Amino acid sequence: MSFGSPWFTLPEFTYHKPKTLKEALELLDKYGEEAKVMAGGVGLLAFMKERLMAPSHVIDLKGVPELGQAIYKEGEGLTIGATVTLNELARYGPLKKFGALHDAVRDIADPIIRNRATLVGNLCEAIPWVDTPPALIALGAEVEIRSLKGERRVPVKDFIKGPVEIDLEPGELVTAVHVPEPRRNSRSRFIKYNTGSEFALVSVAANVVMDGGRVRDVSLVYGAVSSTPQVAVKAADALKSAEKPWEVLDEVGRIASEEVEAVSDVLASEEYRRHLIRVLTLRVLREVMG
Amino acid sequence: MREITLTVNGERRKAMVKDNELLLDVLRDKLYVKSVKAACWRGECGLCTVLMNDRLVKSCLVLAVEADGAEILTAEGLVKDGEPSPIQKAFIEKGALQCGFCTPAFVISSHKLLTMNPNPSDEEIRSFLSGLICRCGTYNQIIEAIRGAQKAYASR
Ligand SMILES: Cc1cc2nc3c(=O)[nH]c(=O)nc-3n(C[C@H](O)[C@H](O)[C@H](O)COP(=O)(O)OP(=O)(O)OC[C@H]3O[C@@H](n4cnc5c(N)ncnc54)[C@H](O)[C@@H]3O)c2cc1C
Ligand code: FES
Ligand code: FES
Repeated sequence: MSFGSPWFTLPEFTYHKPKTLKEALELLDKYGEEAKVMAGGVGLLAFMKERLMAPSHVIDLKGVPELGQAIYKEGEGLTIGATVTLNELARYGPLKKFGALHDAVRDIADPIIRNRATLVGNLCEAIPWVDTPPALIALGAEVEIRSLKGERRVPVKDFIKGPVEIDLEPGELVTAVHVPEPRRNSRSRFIKYNTGSEFALVSVAANVVMDGGRVRDVSLVYGAVSSTPQVAVKAADALKSAEKPWEVLDEVGRIASEEVEAVSDVLASEEYRRHLIRVLTLRVLREVMG
Repeated sequence: MREITLTVNGERRKAMVKDNELLLDVLRDKLYVKSVKAACWRGECGLCTVLMNDRLVKSCLVLAVEADGAEILTAEGLVKDGEPSPIQKAFIEKGALQCGFCTPAFVISSHKLLTMNPNPSDEEIRSFLSGLICRCGTYNQIIEAIRGAQKAYASR
């Protein structure tokens, strides 16, 4: 059935399904760089079929109950465990408080894939065009990392170091992503622009804190434009310093489109991406400020 | 090699599998569940879709070992005593197929949709089935078939 083609088969490995976090960490410690963890497997199996990854040990996290929960605590925020699927998250009521993440999660791939794919897997995949990192960065989310040696927390912004490159040492595992409680008078949205395929040509997440008619704080983050998500600092400053922010939206879009890194590839030219950044900035700001 | 046990369309089945085998290939080549099709092996076409523990999954993205102990339902399993189920009859009545290659996947997915929601809007149907591709383009007839089977699910 597989026609013997490597593209349709997986390289050989040993499958492990630990039942506790401790057991998972011990396996990771033992096999180090030889091991890859698997959540939904949507990304991992695809990489393995293409022989971009060939771990000798695959450690399936789905048997570890404590990684399977999304928990919201008022005033603290939302903690999303490593095996929470995108569909489970989309159905979790409190997600609505985190507008940008709500938007991103509900539009990834298709509903059948979202039955398996997880938020943490989407983040750890760290392909430039995946949807959740810009939303998570705009919301100030942090990654919770564990190993046998201990635990640490890293902002999502620093966790993604390059295309398919994350701040994770052999033996370490992401147990959850934590999204802090949204600030008062804040609002966030995520917009993805795609044609033909589900992958974004450009995506943008915006998170604003309004103060009367002015913008007290704003975070603008772009996905799919370069090798890592791009934060537009100058554009954000222009918006914050404006006395009448509604009147400078065009200018803010222009600054963002000039300031962030953008590349040309098979999906879009740099010029087109910069154009999209401008248009999408305008669109997303109208939504969050309105 | 290890032995896995799974319930396929109500029947307990065993198979010897390697850790790197896909559920898709084990279903077709070892358990002979031939309604499960494949065209891409990478999660895009949806033709390998089955219900696993009552959740739709694309079986080219699932390891066979992960399905140990699981319940699998495919289009074959909807047939009762040689009689096609309402959704299968509706596909025939509305001509919701041309070559038929995608039909089992659309049938099992439509079955799941109607079980959850016997009265979906056109928009809900389109979005729910958006992970499946019909190269013959029978999408409109598929929506009609779902409409045709709807009553049977509402009265269950
Ligand atoms: C047809 C198709 C369409 C798609 N469309 C979209 C789209 O529109 N938008 C989008 O953003 N994405 C899209 N994707 C990508 C998909 O969303 C991701 O592959 C998926 O979210 C990955 O999640 P997972 O749980 O399956 O991760 P896995 O495949 O299990 O893991 C992915 C990677 O992360 C690592 N990893 C996973 N969990 C952990 C952990 N806890 N700690 C450390 N490392 C970990 C794994 O080792 C692996 O390298 C699409 C994929 C397909 C096949
Ligand atoms: S073969 Fe599984 S989605 Fe195409
Ligand atoms: S009927 Fe031919 S692919 Fe759908």
